[in-house]
Amino acid sequence: MNSNQYIDAFSRYLRHGDLSVMAPFCENSAHLERMAVYRNGFYKGCVDALAANFPMCEKKLGNDDFRKMARLYVDHFPPEQGTLVGYGKNFPDFIIDLLKEFEFESSDKVGLTVAQNFSADLYVNLADIAYLDYAWLMSLMSADSNETLTIEYVTDLIEQEIEFTELNVKLNPSVLLVHVKKDAFSEWISLKKNNNDAITDRSSIDVFVMLWRLQGGVQARLLSIAEVALMQALQGKGRTLGEAFDAAITLDENFEVSDAFTACLQNELLEINSN
Amino acid sequence: MEQAHLKANNLYYSQENFPQHTIAGDKLGAGLSLKPEHLDDILSLPVQAPSVNHNLWFEVHTENYFVAGGPRLNYLRAVRENHNISFHGVGGSLGSDHKAMAAHTKQVKALINEFQPILVSEHAVWSKSDGKYFADLMPLPRTQDALQSLIDGVDCYQSGIGRSILIENPSNYLDFISDMDEPQFLVEAARRSGCGLLIDINNLYISSKNTGIDALNYLKQIPAELVGEIHIAGHDPDPTLGQSLLIDSHAAAVAPPVWKLLEQALGLFGHTPVLVERDANIPSFTELMKERQIAQNYLEQDKVLRNVNAAGNEVLSNE
Ligand SMILES: [Fe+2]
Repeated sequence: MNSNQYIDAFSRYLRHGDLSVMAPFCENSAHLERMAVYRNGFYKGCVDALAANFPMCEKKLGNDDFRKMARLYVDHFPPEQGTLVGYGKNFPDFIIDLLKEFEFESSDKVGLTVAQNFSADLYVNLADIAYLDYAWLMSLMSADSNETLTIEYVTDLIEQEIEFTELNVKLNPSVLLVHVKKDAFSEWISLKKNNNDAITDRSSIDVFVMLWRLQGGVQARLLSIAEVALMQALQGKGRTLGEAFDAAITLDENFEVSDAFTACLQNELLEINSN
Repeated sequence: MEQAHLKANNLYYSQENFPQHTIAGDKLGAGLSLKPEHLDDILSLPVQAPSVNHNLWFEVHTENYFVAGGPRLNYLRAVRENHNISFHGVGGSLGSDHKAMAAHTKQVKALINEFQPILVSEHAVWSKSDGKYFADLMPLPRTQDALQSLIDGVDCYQSGIGRSILIENPSNYLDFISDMDEPQFLVEAARRSGCGLLIDINNLYISSKNTGIDALNYLKQIPAELVGEIHIAGHDPDPTLGQSLLIDSHAAAVAPPVWKLLEQALGLFGHTPVLVERDANIPSFTELMKERQIAQNYLEQDKVLRNVNAAGNEVLSNE
């Protein structure tokens, strides 16, 4: 027997559940059914990781339905790294595709209890909540900032009469912007806070939510159009502070630059760009 | 002197943390799986009691720390300030699909560089195939080509991280067609790759019940100088097949026959760091520390100490 054939057959069994492929490799055919331990372990590991990485999705759907949906995801997108940290990158898009399928055909095949009515409350906002869950996780695990721009640093520049608007800065690695429906964000927040607020507004507008890590915890808040412009200007390679604030003022001439700058410093959003 | 040669070349312990001339009582004692829910308890342990803290160590699943930054690494840093830690890999897939090994070990190495773990281990199993990761520990068939694949995997891993590792025996639920028994397979892999062995006593107990092997005879086939760590853990009967199939759950207290087998293993191997593994149904820290104390008591038994001195002297005299 070649061990590659064994591993190929084992993999096929894990992915598709056909026990017969393993029969030639088993010493005792009466024990073949015990192979289920490995398949259960594979799915349990992946589904538990998805539940941990998408906690508000799980809360919204309920444990049973979430696990059924997560299992389908594992079938389509099994992990590819030797770790389950961060597993589920495609889960939000997968939810969108799955819900589209529900529009055209019966979803009984996946056994989701309320899937017959794809527009049921349970599925409204689900993909956006998954985007928010994943962004929260990515912000939590992102790299630590190299050189945070602090109030002390800026005070020093002012004392030395250095023009701080010329300072080149960028967002710290934990700052992420997510584009979602406004009421998906409200629902995500109320799930996090354990509120049971009913969804009232179905014709929700699109908004940007910013997530960032402060002292080990992830924060989230809605951004105004001008704030989006400010943050987008500071994404990636960064910009001078002056250029970034100009981008915000272009969209809203009443934009309060000093309030925004103070908030950026207090929330440790910016780092000094050494490049 | 081949055995002494093997041990001398193995960095089971980093030099910094394990001075060669420590007496047996100062050696790594019994450790615990590090659980986030116990962080406050661990950080409030008295630091001025070195005999307690030096011997108490914590093991983590290496891949759980494959993160760029944030609180997860910070809490490991906080624990590391007062305790030795061990990195136990679960996703290296030593037995198959070594294409992505370099990317994997690069992350392990970065963690090793920062945290200087006292032990680094992986499993003598496969978990990846064709770029997919199956998130479980699947046994290899014990054939010559599977052995070679395992040795290649250990080689890749060890050269990737720049130090040698211990490899752990799997839990077996059924037998696959094989050319050799498991002790032969593992010992050969260790001898040819220069790695050591992590003997999981609970896995061995489960395998013995599930497949009918003689656990004590198994232990007697393992050369003591290859063993760098021992695991003990709890198991559960399969929900459908009951006691005829024991599952390696890590969700229960260590069972009496596993304690008994641990005592026999320590009698054969001498003083070896023992880890109480717990991954589910997590009890209070106090509760786990009680289990850890039982393991520590076994380590401090006279005959275990006597073995250690003999084995230790032999190794040290050859370095
Ligand atoms: Fe183990």
